[in-house]
Amino acid sequence: MSEGVTPSPKGAGFPVRTHNWTGGAIVTALGVALLVYALFTANTTIPRFMASCVALIGLATLVGIIPVQSPRDYYGGLALVMLTILALIASADLPGQRGFAFGPGTAPRLFSFVLAAVAAVVALGGVFAEGPPIEKYKVRGPTLVILAIFCFGVMIRPLGLVPASFVSFMISTLGSSEARWVESLLGAAAMTVFCVLLFVYLLGLPFQLWPRF
Amino acid sequence: MTDLLSHLWQGFQVASHPLNILFCCLGALVGTLVGVLPGIGTIATIAMLLPITFGLPPVGALIMLAGIYYGAQYGGSTTSVLVNIPGEATSVITCLDGHQMARQGRAGPALSIAAIGSFFAGCVATVLVAALGAPLTSLALLFGPAEYFSLMVLGLIFAVVLAKGSVLKAIAMVLTGLLLSMVGSDLETGAGRMTFDIAELADGIGFPNIAMGLFGFAEIIRNLELPAESREIVQAKITGLMPTRKDLIDSSGAIARGTALGSLLGILPGGGALIASFAAYGFEKRMAKDPSRFGRGAIEGVAAPESANNAGAQTSFIPLLTLGIPPNAVMALMVGAMTIHGIVPGPQVMTKQPDLFWGMIASMWIGNLMLIVINLPLVGVWVSLLRVPYRLLYPCIVMFCCIGIYSINNSPTDVWISALFGIVGFWLVKHDFEPAPLTLALVLGPLMEENLRRAMLIARGDATVFFTKPISAGLLLTAMTLLLIAALPKIRKRRDEVFVEE
Repeated sequence: MSEGVTPSPKGAGFPVRTHNWTGGAIVTALGVALLVYALFTANTTIPRFMASCVALIGLATLVGIIPVQSPRDYYGGLALVMLTILALIASADLPGQRGFAFGPGTAPRLFSFVLAAVAAVVALGGVFAEGPPIEKYKVRGPTLVILAIFCFGVMIRPLGLVPASFVSFMISTLGSSEARWVESLLGAAAMTVFCVLLFVYLLGLPFQLWPRF
Repeated sequence: MTDLLSHLWQGFQVASHPLNILFCCLGALVGTLVGVLPGIGTIATIAMLLPITFGLPPVGALIMLAGIYYGAQYGGSTTSVLVNIPGEATSVITCLDGHQMARQGRAGPALSIAAIGSFFAGCVATVLVAALGAPLTSLALLFGPAEYFSLMVLGLIFAVVLAKGSVLKAIAMVLTGLLLSMVGSDLETGAGRMTFDIAELADGIGFPNIAMGLFGFAEIIRNLELPAESREIVQAKITGLMPTRKDLIDSSGAIARGTALGSLLGILPGGGALIASFAAYGFEKRMAKDPSRFGRGAIEGVAAPESANNAGAQTSFIPLLTLGIPPNAVMALMVGAMTIHGIVPGPQVMTKQPDLFWGMIASMWIGNLMLIVINLPLVGVWVSLLRVPYRLLYPCIVMFCCIGIYSINNSPTDVWISALFGIVGFWLVKHDFEPAPLTLALVLGPLMEENLRRAMLIARGDATVFFTKPISAGLLLTAMTLLLIAALPKIRKRRDEVFVEE
C-alpha cells in the first residue's frame, strides 16, 4: 500500500545492492523444498502452483533479473508467502465449508490466502521502493544461546535440573565474547544452587534433580 | 447506592480479617518475588504458586490468590521495564516505553508510576464492579458473535496502528499471528490442524512459548550482537528512583484516561484487559502534543497501559461472573484455581456466596494496596538488578526462561518451540517486522475464529451480517477509520521526506 505508491527517491543514501545471489539462492531452495513437499501431499494444486512461482522468483533474483531495492521488505514478504504455502499444504487434508458451516480447514485457508496477498504486496514494495539493506547476521551469540536453550530441553527430562541448568548456563555464557572462564563457572554453580533451592525446595516443583540410574 | 455501600462493607469485613490480610500480603510478596525473575512471567508465576493455596479455606485461598495475581502481574511489568521481557500479553505494550525509560536510566520512575497507576485504576474499578456488576450484565448480553468478532477486529487494528513502521507489515504480522493461532485442535470437530503429527502441538503452540521466544530470547540474541558499549541497559546512569513532580503531573491525565478506557473495555468479554492496554496506549499517542516521544521513553506510555490493564483486569470480573468467559490466560488460570476450591464462576456466585464474592472484590483492592506498600520501597532493589554485568545477567535470564517455560506444562517440547521462536523473533527484527501485533492476534485468534464461525452459521452464510448489525457495523467502521488515519500520514510523511531530500 504505502510502499507501492511512494515515489522512489534517487540516491537516498542507502548503498543499494540490487543483485544478491545468496538471497535468491535461499528463496529458490526453499521454494523447491516446498514444491517437493506439496507433490508428496494430496489436494495441493494451489500450494504447488504457489511454490513453483516462489522458486521461479528466487531463480530470477538469483540471476539478477529482479532489481531488489529494499531487501528487508522483499525477503520478508517472500518468507511470509512461503509460510502460507506451508500452512496451505499442512491444512490440505482438513475438510472445508459444508453448507453454511465452516469446516476445520476453512479459517486456516482463509487467513493463509489473505496473508499471502498482503505478503506479496510487501515483497512487491521491496522491488519498487528503496530501503535499507539487511543487517549482517552474527553467528556466535545467537547459535550458542539457542543451543543452550535446546540443550536444556534435551537434558531436563533424562538428566535432571542440576546438570541441565549448569551445562546450559555454561553454553550460553560462551555466546558473549566477554565471557571469562572462572567467573562463568562460579556463576553457573551459583545459579544452579539458587534454582534448586528456589524451585525445588521452596516452591516444591516436581523437578528431578539428578540423572536417573 | 446503599446497596453498593453495604456490599462493599460486607466485602471489606471479610477481607480485613487479620488472617486474610496476612494471606494477601504474603501472596503479593511471593508473587512479586517470583514474578520479578526475568523470564518467569505472570502465567508461570501463578502456575507455580497455585499449589501453596490448596490447603487454605476457600476465602483465604482466593484472597491469597488475588495477592499472588497482583504481585505476579506487577512482577511481569517490572521485567518488561527492566529487561524488555513481557510477563504476559497485557504488558507487551509496557515494554515499548518502559524499557526505553530504563535505558535512559529512569527505570525507577517507570516502576513507581506503574504501581501508582495500577493502584489508582484498581480503586476506581473496584467501586465500578460493585456498582455496575448487576446492571451491566444486560449490556454484555447485547453482544452476539458478529459483535464479538468486530470488536476483536477493532482490537487488532489498534495493534496495527500502534506498531512502528509500515502499516502493511503490521497487518501481515497480525495475519501471521492469526494463522499461528490456528495450529492445534479444531474447536468444533477436534481435528488436529497443521500439527505435523506432533502430539505436543495438538493443544496449540502456546502463548508463553511464543512470547518468551519472540521477546525474551530474541532480545538476548540481539543484545549479544551489539558491541558492549551500546548495551545501555547496564551502563545508563540511574537518575532518581521516585517519579518527580513533573512525572506525576505528566502522567496523572494518562492514568485517569487509561483507567476510564480500561474499565470500559474490560467489561467487554474476550481480551478486554488486553485490548484496553493497547487502546489506552494508542489513545495517549493520539492525544499527545508530540506523538514522536512515544516509543522513546514517554512516561505516559507506561502510565496509561498499566492503569488500563489493571482497571480492565478488574472490570473483566463482570463478564467472568456473568458469562463465565475468562478474559485472558492469567484469568483462565484463576478460574481453574476457583474451581479447585469448589467455586464455579458464573452469575450464581454473586447471589449464593455473597461473602466470598464481595470478599474477593475487596481483597483485589487490598492486593493492590499491598503491592504499593511492598513495592515502592523495593523499587531500588529491582533497579539495582540492572547493575549486574550483562555477560552474567543474560545466562541467568536464559535459565529462568527455560525453567519458567518448562514448569508450565513440564514439557521439553515447549522449550524447543520457544527456542525456535527466538530465531523467528530475531529474523523479524532484522526485517523490520514488529512482534507485538502478532502476539495479540495469537491470543485473540481462537476467540475470533469461534465467533466468526458462529456468526456465519447464524446468518446462514451471509457475510454482510457484520455490516448490517448496528453495533458490529459501528465497530468495523471505527476500525477502518483508524486504519485510514494511520495509513495516510505515513504516505504524506514519506512524500515530505522525499521533497526535503530533493
